[in-house]
Amino acid sequence: MKLTLANIDGYRQELVTQRKELQSIMVCCGTGCRARNGLGVAEAMGEALEAAGLGDEVKVELTSTGCHGWCEQGPIVTIEPDGVFYTNVKPEHAGEIVAGFQSGHPVQKLLYRDLTTRERKVTYHEVPFYSHQTRWAMRNVGRISPTEIDHYIARDGYKALAKVLAGMSPAEVVDEVAKAGLRGRGGGGFDAGRKWRSAARASGSPKYIICNGDEGDPGAFMDRSIMEADPHGVLEGMIIGAYAIGATQGYIYVRQEYPLAVKHLEQAMADAREMGLLGEQILGSDFSFEIKIARGGGAFVCGESSALMRSIEGKVGEPRAKYVHAADKGLFDRPTVLNNVETFICVPLILDKGAEHFAATGTAGSKGTKAFSVVGKVNCNGLIEVPMGTTLRELIFDVAGGVPKGRTFKAVQTGGPSGGCLPESQLDLAVDFDTLADAGSMMGSGGLIVMDDRNCLVDVARYFVKFLVDESCGKCVPCREGLKQMLAILSRITQGEGRTEDLVAIDKLCDVLKDGSLCALGKSAANPVLSTLKYFRSEYEEHIRDGFCRAGVCGKLCSYHINEKCTGCAVCAKVCPVTCISGEKKELHVIDQGPCIQCGSCFDACRFDAIEIRSAP
Amino acid sequence: MPSTDFAELLEKHPPVEESLIEILHDVQLAHRYLPRPALVAVAAHCAVPLARVMSVATFYKAFSLEPKGEKVLKVCMGTACHVKGASQLLDEAERLLGCKCGETTADGRYTLEEVNCVGACAMAPLVIEDEQYHGKFKPVDMKLLLKAGE
Amino acid sequence: MSEIILNGRKVKVRKGEFLLAVARREGIEIPTLCQHDAVEPAGACRLCLVEVTRPEWEGWSKLVTSCLFPAEDGLIVSTDSAPVHKTRKGILELLMARSPNAVPVRELARQYGIEQCPYPVQHDGDNCILCDICTRVCQNLVTGAISRIDRGVGKRVATPFAEPSTDCVGCLACAKSCPTAAIPYEDEGLRRTIWGKTFEVASCAGCGAPTVTAEQAAWIEQSKGVSREDQLVCDRCKAQKTAAAYQKLAW
Repeated sequence: MKLTLANIDGYRQELVTQRKELQSIMVCCGTGCRARNGLGVAEAMGEALEAAGLGDEVKVELTSTGCHGWCEQGPIVTIEPDGVFYTNVKPEHAGEIVAGFQSGHPVQKLLYRDLTTRERKVTYHEVPFYSHQTRWAMRNVGRISPTEIDHYIARDGYKALAKVLAGMSPAEVVDEVAKAGLRGRGGGGFDAGRKWRSAARASGSPKYIICNGDEGDPGAFMDRSIMEADPHGVLEGMIIGAYAIGATQGYIYVRQEYPLAVKHLEQAMADAREMGLLGEQILGSDFSFEIKIARGGGAFVCGESSALMRSIEGKVGEPRAKYVHAADKGLFDRPTVLNNVETFICVPLILDKGAEHFAATGTAGSKGTKAFSVVGKVNCNGLIEVPMGTTLRELIFDVAGGVPKGRTFKAVQTGGPSGGCLPESQLDLAVDFDTLADAGSMMGSGGLIVMDDRNCLVDVARYFVKFLVDESCGKCVPCREGLKQMLAILSRITQGEGRTEDLVAIDKLCDVLKDGSLCALGKSAANPVLSTLKYFRSEYEEHIRDGFCRAGVCGKLCSYHINEKCTGCAVCAKVCPVTCISGEKKELHVIDQGPCIQCGSCFDACRFDAIEIRSAP
Repeated sequence: MPSTDFAELLEKHPPVEESLIEILHDVQLAHRYLPRPALVAVAAHCAVPLARVMSVATFYKAFSLEPKGEKVLKVCMGTACHVKGASQLLDEAERLLGCKCGETTADGRYTLEEVNCVGACAMAPLVIEDEQYHGKFKPVDMKLLLKAGE
Repeated sequence: MSEIILNGRKVKVRKGEFLLAVARREGIEIPTLCQHDAVEPAGACRLCLVEVTRPEWEGWSKLVTSCLFPAEDGLIVSTDSAPVHKTRKGILELLMARSPNAVPVRELARQYGIEQCPYPVQHDGDNCILCDICTRVCQNLVTGAISRIDRGVGKRVATPFAEPSTDCVGCLACAKSCPTAAIPYEDEGLRRTIWGKTFEVASCAGCGAPTVTAEQAAWIEQSKGVSREDQLVCDRCKAQKTAAAYQKLAW
């Protein structure tokens, strides 16, 4: 059926009433849960429900959701409206889950166990990982089926669009977004309202609106989760944006590594068209707008807006100087607005609940919430959305549960390859657009990678430079040649051939990169290096002066040994990929240094602190 | 391979430069690499010089000019994977397969690649065999994975 | 008419002009390696960086590539300030490591006081500094026979599959526009070889000197509408013919 401004509210009301009576068993089928047989679980749940023959008196719906953002606990099954929360579900658990559902006694062994109290938590409302969150951008993530448009509509979907088309002028929409203080969530933090206003005023047609779903920062996956789990939210944000600036054509640029996101977006676009929410005369109004999906080609630099636009044009994704703004001359040299996935999905919320509501959360300069991907050496790896201004310490320790037992926190990397590494002393910094930049890092798109004492910061700096060498487009000299030289120096240091003067050369290269490069990739490429030099200089010095990597990462600068704490449990021998650990059962084991590849598997597996890292022989 | 084989793929896209990357994606999906006649056909379809098609085909990592092995083994090199030992996984894969990253084994069974983050960071470190994701991977698991593929 | 302050001097600028053009008109030297009058600026070599500021920026300034930065009213520009000099020098050191034999690179390095390159120098390094002038010239003005292959540190200029290209017409525009003479070609009498492809060069109908290749003549005829007969006259003979015509007129 075609929805119009006149009938959409009634349609939603009907859906809400219908769904009120409904119990929903939701199986996560996001990329992470699929990897752990989420589809198998969904299928088994279907069979179990059928076998149980629940009859007509209980209204049950089995659906699959998009990524919840807590993949390490997957496959995840939730039962709404109560919010019963099962983790690590296998197909063979389906029968028990259905039986628990019928009897009202949840399956204890599948419930999440609190890290400190070891208590089982029945619903996700009680799980600290979720209870500390304010999920605005991720409001529908894991709560609806991404392929059912009715689920979205029932949760106030397309309500903001109807409100806008029924009674707001484009300028009023721009004003509302500006008043909310919405800043670009992709990393730049540019004022979205200002961008929209420039594009709305620019002459030239057609105008374009682009959703950046390229999410290139390694370690960040909130945009993937949102596109997979709530595609209509992204579409609605774009349609409202298009109305505000007067665009007739939109593009969603999605990373080629995210095939499920493409699939769900395509389905959502087809459904929205079918119901009159996209295409000609949206909701029966005079406003028409179309969207196309452009698949990225596996190039990090295409996250940069000017490179992304070249890529949509079918060209090589080389950035251009931004002396002329995209709002005036962007895609095909026409006025263009580009925002990322998380920015667009905030738009319906702002228009529905009002700018004041949005701006009431956050800090003076950064309004609303931000989704973070807190991963690495933490107990709860996943997506965490909190108000802007939450401290790093709260994010890492309160919500994500801190570093695993036995290890100590060393650093947190924020902002991807454009950001930096911050030590323990900086953990009380509030995370927003401006604060981290002052400390030599940046919030960026929201990746927070936590490192412990088993991570070497020189190696991490080298990792980012290597990443950027692979991803540099090669157009400008400082980035192409400078990063190549930087990698050579850092590689030398991690291989024990570092010289004291190398640190001076690094500083010099950082200056050329910052001041000379064409685009943000090169300009910010120095950050991971500079921040590690600033906060972890002693590690560099130890590598150069003593030829020692105390984290046990740089293979040529360390060796692994077994001490007298060894109980002879042989766990180390089992995980050694080159079988160079030997010893009798219950007796001291020995590592044969010859074949040892310093992978550290034994160290990580040992529960008795019996493996030591020493300098290389 | 005659260029007419690509006619069906090409027909779906308007004959303009804007279609170039989308067409190359379709060719790559269908053939698992970009065969030379396809590149020539795409250039003709989009009315751009072959040199420009080559430029695009070699710029983007999603495209390959060489046929790949029967299976593609990718080690994720995202930051979360890196701090959890992804380079050790890559070393181990290189050692067991006897080929370097980016190469195909002599028997043509595996192509070994690295990928800069697949966005499954909560399951790091990650190895992807064809489309199957294997999370929380340890160096010692590599042997088993490769054996299972035999 | 807008006005900018260029190295402390008030200078009138035209709408749409870029800083580099204004500076050159004013006789101020700014080094460039990727700029060519025949094609649009690219901003790739970064040597033309200059420092710009405005009174309202309250002391804040930034480095921009003058080849691409519009000369807007009120701009204060320094073409050789300390940060500009330092960054150019840093870039030249990187180019010296890559292409130590490229003459313009060596010459600029000398000008900027680089005595020893701080990075390992590739003594047999390619003269190509990836300025992209050749590919821009070929793609925008000729047939687009060459392009940039790969990306990042592996980037290079080549014909498709590094084989003789069917699109190449042997016009030498790429080689002649290259600032570092990095594109080798051979011209032996009426035989020309470039990018691995050998061409027959037609001789001038007047004096027998080499003129254009057959492929080039065909392409010019098709795209510019100049007949082959007209192309088969060398520049010298054309000039003589014109001079003779003028002489007739004068008498």
